[in-house]
Amino acid sequence: MNDNPDFSALRRRLLLALGALPAAGRAAPAAPSRQPVVVLTSYNDEVFSRFEAAFEKAWPQYRLQLVWRMPHDALPTLRQPRQSGIDVYWSASPRNFASLAAEGAWQALAIDRDGLPGHVGRARLADAEGYYAATEMAGYGFIVNPAELARLGLAVPQDWSELAAPAWSGRIALPDPGRVGFAPVMVDIVLQAYGWERGWAVWSAIAGNAGSVMEAGSTFVTDEVASGRCPLGLSIDFFSAAAIANGAPLRFAYPAHSGINPAHIAICRDAPNPDGARAFADFVLSAAGQRLITHRDIRKLPVRPAVYRELPADYFDPFRAAERGVFDYDGDATRDRLGLVAALFAQTLTREHGELAGLWRRVHRAEAAGRDVGAVRRQLEAPPLSAAEAADPALLAPFRDRREAATAPAANALEAQWQQASRARRGDIARRLDRMGA
Amino acid sequence: MRALCLIFALFCLSTANARADDAAALREAYLQPLPGLDDAGRERFFRGRSLFRQSWVIAPADDKAAGLGPLYNRLACISCHQKNGRGRAPDGPDERMLSMLVRLSVPGRAADGGPKPHPAYGGQLNEEGVPGVPGEGRAALSWIELPAVTLAGGEKVAQRRPQVEFVDLAYGDLHGSLHSLRVGQPVYGLGLLEAVPAATLLRLAREAKPDGVRGRVNRVRDVATGRDVVGRFGFKANMPNLRQQIAGAFVGDLGITSPLFPSENCTAAQAACRVAPSAAHPELPAADLDAIEFYLAHVAPPPQRDADAPQVRDGAALFERIGCTACHRPELRTGPAPRFPLTAGRHIAPYTDLLLHDLGPGLADGRPDYRAGPRQWRTPPLWGIGLVPRINEHSQYLHDGRARNLQEAVVWHDGEAAAARRRYVELAPEARRALLAFLESL
Repeated sequence: MNDNPDFSALRRRLLLALGALPAAGRAAPAAPSRQPVVVLTSYNDEVFSRFEAAFEKAWPQYRLQLVWRMPHDALPTLRQPRQSGIDVYWSASPRNFASLAAEGAWQALAIDRDGLPGHVGRARLADAEGYYAATEMAGYGFIVNPAELARLGLAVPQDWSELAAPAWSGRIALPDPGRVGFAPVMVDIVLQAYGWERGWAVWSAIAGNAGSVMEAGSTFVTDEVASGRCPLGLSIDFFSAAAIANGAPLRFAYPAHSGINPAHIAICRDAPNPDGARAFADFVLSAAGQRLITHRDIRKLPVRPAVYRELPADYFDPFRAAERGVFDYDGDATRDRLGLVAALFAQTLTREHGELAGLWRRVHRAEAAGRDVGAVRRQLEAPPLSAAEAADPALLAPFRDRREAATAPAANALEAQWQQASRARRGDIARRLDRMGA
Repeated sequence: MRALCLIFALFCLSTANARADDAAALREAYLQPLPGLDDAGRERFFRGRSLFRQSWVIAPADDKAAGLGPLYNRLACISCHQKNGRGRAPDGPDERMLSMLVRLSVPGRAADGGPKPHPAYGGQLNEEGVPGVPGEGRAALSWIELPAVTLAGGEKVAQRRPQVEFVDLAYGDLHGSLHSLRVGQPVYGLGLLEAVPAATLLRLAREAKPDGVRGRVNRVRDVATGRDVVGRFGFKANMPNLRQQIAGAFVGDLGITSPLFPSENCTAAQAACRVAPSAAHPELPAADLDAIEFYLAHVAPPPQRDADAPQVRDGAALFERIGCTACHRPELRTGPAPRFPLTAGRHIAPYTDLLLHDLGPGLADGRPDYRAGPRQWRTPPLWGIGLVPRINEHSQYLHDGRARNLQEAVVWHDGEAAAARRRYVELAPEARRALLAFLESL
C-alpha cells in the first residue's frame, strides 16, 4: 500500500517536515527515534498539550504531531491525496465524521470498547460501522449569573420556552449560529424538541429577547454573563464549567431538553502510522485519557462512565441526566439540516437583530396593555420556511458541508433571498403594528 | 458583537473585584483586565485575548488564522504562556519542550548590535516545520544534580543545572554555536512595565547601591524607528517595547510575519523554507497586532494576598533588610502613556528594576544580547510569582526552569546578588520561612 512513489515522496516530505526522518548531512541522533503520529484536530492548546505530554509519556515510541484545522478546513485536508498524511482525525464535528465515513475515509477503529457505552440518551457514542467513536461530550444549556438573576427577580429557566417571556427582554446573550461553531446544534435541539413550527416560534421570541448577539466563541458568552451585562447566556457547557471551576460566580443549568455534541476520533484510511494512530485513539478513550478532559481548565464530559465515580459530586454526569430524558436529542436524525437551520437562523433572526428585538418589544408592550396582537405575534413566530421546504434535498445540499464562518457560494443567493424576505416581513409587521397604534 | 445590556456594564469590575479573595478564582488571576476598561476597551481586550489563544494554521487554508511556519515551535501564544503564566522545562530528554525554547547565535554581533543569528538555524531552534520544510531538530534536555547547598540550621537545598543535546538536526551541526534556554514568561502587567519611563530606568542604573550591586540598561534596536533605545522586556531586556516583543515572538515562535517583521523566519541555508507559501503579507495584519498589544497592555498583575499576615510582613521586611530590594524594587511609578491611558501615572509593585545585573557564573548562559553580557540577566518582576504553583501547576523558576522551588531560585543568585544570597543562607530557618511566605504572597 505504501509503495506508491507519489505517496512515498509525500510521506517523506511530511516526516521531514515533522523532523522525524534523518535528512542528508544530519548528525546521527543520540536519542531513540520516535515515530510520528499525525493528528488533525481543532482542539485548543489547553486540551492538546495535555494529551501530548501524557501520551508521549505512556507511549515513548511515538511523537504526536499536531495539524490544526477548523472543521470547515479539515474536510478539504482529509480529501487530499493520501489524506495529506494524516493518521488521526480528532475533533468535535459530528458532521465531518459522518460525511467522511460516507466517502470511505476511515479504517476500522478496532479498539477495545469495554466500558464504553454505545449511547447516552438518544445520542450515539459510536457509529454503527465501527469507524469512529466519541471521545468526550458537551451539553447545551444556560450559563447564568445567579446574583444578577436574583437582583432582577428571575428564576433559572427550566427549559428553552421560558426564555420567550417578556421578562427576559434584553437579558439573553445569544451566540450567532451563523458564526459560532457550537450553535447550529443548539438551534436544532429546540427544533427537534418542540417540532419545526413551535421551535421556530420559540427561537424567534428568544432571539427577540437577546440583549447581545455574540459573533465569536463561547468564552464571550461566559464573559458577557460574568460581567452582568446579560444575566443569562445560551451556551455549550465546558467553557462555562471551566470558568466556574476556576471560581467564576456563575452556574450552568441544563434545560429539560438538552442535547449532546460529541467529539469523535477516527483513524484515516491511508494512515501512514496505523499502529500509532490506534495507540493514540486507545489512549484518548482510556481511563487516563478520559481523566485528562476533566481537568478544571477543560471540563469536558467523559464518555467512560466509570470515570465519573472518581470525580467530585458536583461534576455533571450526562449518563445519569439521560435517565431523566434530558438528552433525548438525536443528532444523527437531523444532522443533514444543521447547515441549513444555522443559515436560516442567522439570516432571519440575528441579521438586523435590532429590528426583530424592537418588534418583539412592541408586541410585548401591546400584550401587556391587553391589546389583541395575536396575528402579528403569529407572523413573527412563523418559520422562515415550512418543514417540507426545509427537508428538500436540493435545498439542503448547498449547506450540507458548510461550517461556521465558511464561505459557500452556492448558498449565498439563497441566504440573500431569506434576508430580503425576512426584512420584508419585518416591515410588514411594523406597518401592522403602526396601524394598530401598538 | 452588539451589546445592548449596557445598563449592567459597571458590574463587570465589581464582579471581578469580588472574586479576588475567592481561592478558586485565583487560578484566573493572571487573566484579569486592569480596572477601568470601558465597553469598547473590553471588546478590544477580548478580541486580543482570542488572538492570544488562537491556534494558528498552516497555509494555504480557508482560515483567517493562517500563516503558521514555515518553521515554528508551537501553535499558539498560550502554548508557552498557559493562563498567561510561566512555562516549564521538560523533566528529561524524552519529554518535549512544550513551553520552552532554545535561543541560538554564533559569536559576534549582528548589524543591529544584537546577537548574531546562526547562519543555518537563525535565532532560535524551531522544532517544527510545515509539510515540505524540515523542522530544525530537537533539543533534548537533561538535568545534572549538583551538590546541595547547606543553609543555617542544616537545611539542604538541592541544585540542578540543565544540559542540552541537539538531536535530529536537519540543517547541519551546531558546533561552535551559543545557546540559551528560555521558558515562557508571564505576560501580565506588561503595559504597566512599559509605562515606566526610560528616564526612570536610567536613573535607577545611575543610583549608588549597596553590596556591589550595579545594574545597567540594555540598549536595543527599535525596529519601527531604527533607533537604539532602552530595552525592558525579555530575560535580557533585549526588547524595547511590548509591540516588538509580541511581533518578535510571532515571527520567532510561530513563524508568522507582521508589519514589524515582514519576512519569514528562514535562513539562506533553508531552501524549502524560503519557497514555502505564506498566507499573506504580512500574515498578522496591523489590526491584529494592535489587538494583541492592547490585550497584553491591559492584563493586570494579580494583587498581593495576605499582605497583613505577620509572617508575610516579617518576610517583606527581611526581603528588604538582606538586600533583595536593591534589584527587586518594590515600587515604581509609571509615567504618561498616551496609547494606553489606564497604565499611566500609577504606583506599581513589580519587584523589578528592569535592569541588567551580573548573576554570576552559575546562571550564565555565555550568550551576549546587545549590551547584556553572558552573565547578565534582567531582574524579573516578582509580582504574581506566588501563584505559579496554583495557576501553572508547577514550581519551576529562573530562565530555564532549573529552580524547583523559590528557595532554590534564591540560592542560585550570585554575582551582584552574592551578598544578599549569603545573608539569606545565614538566616535562621524561621526567618527564611517568613521570607518565602512573603514571596508566596506576591
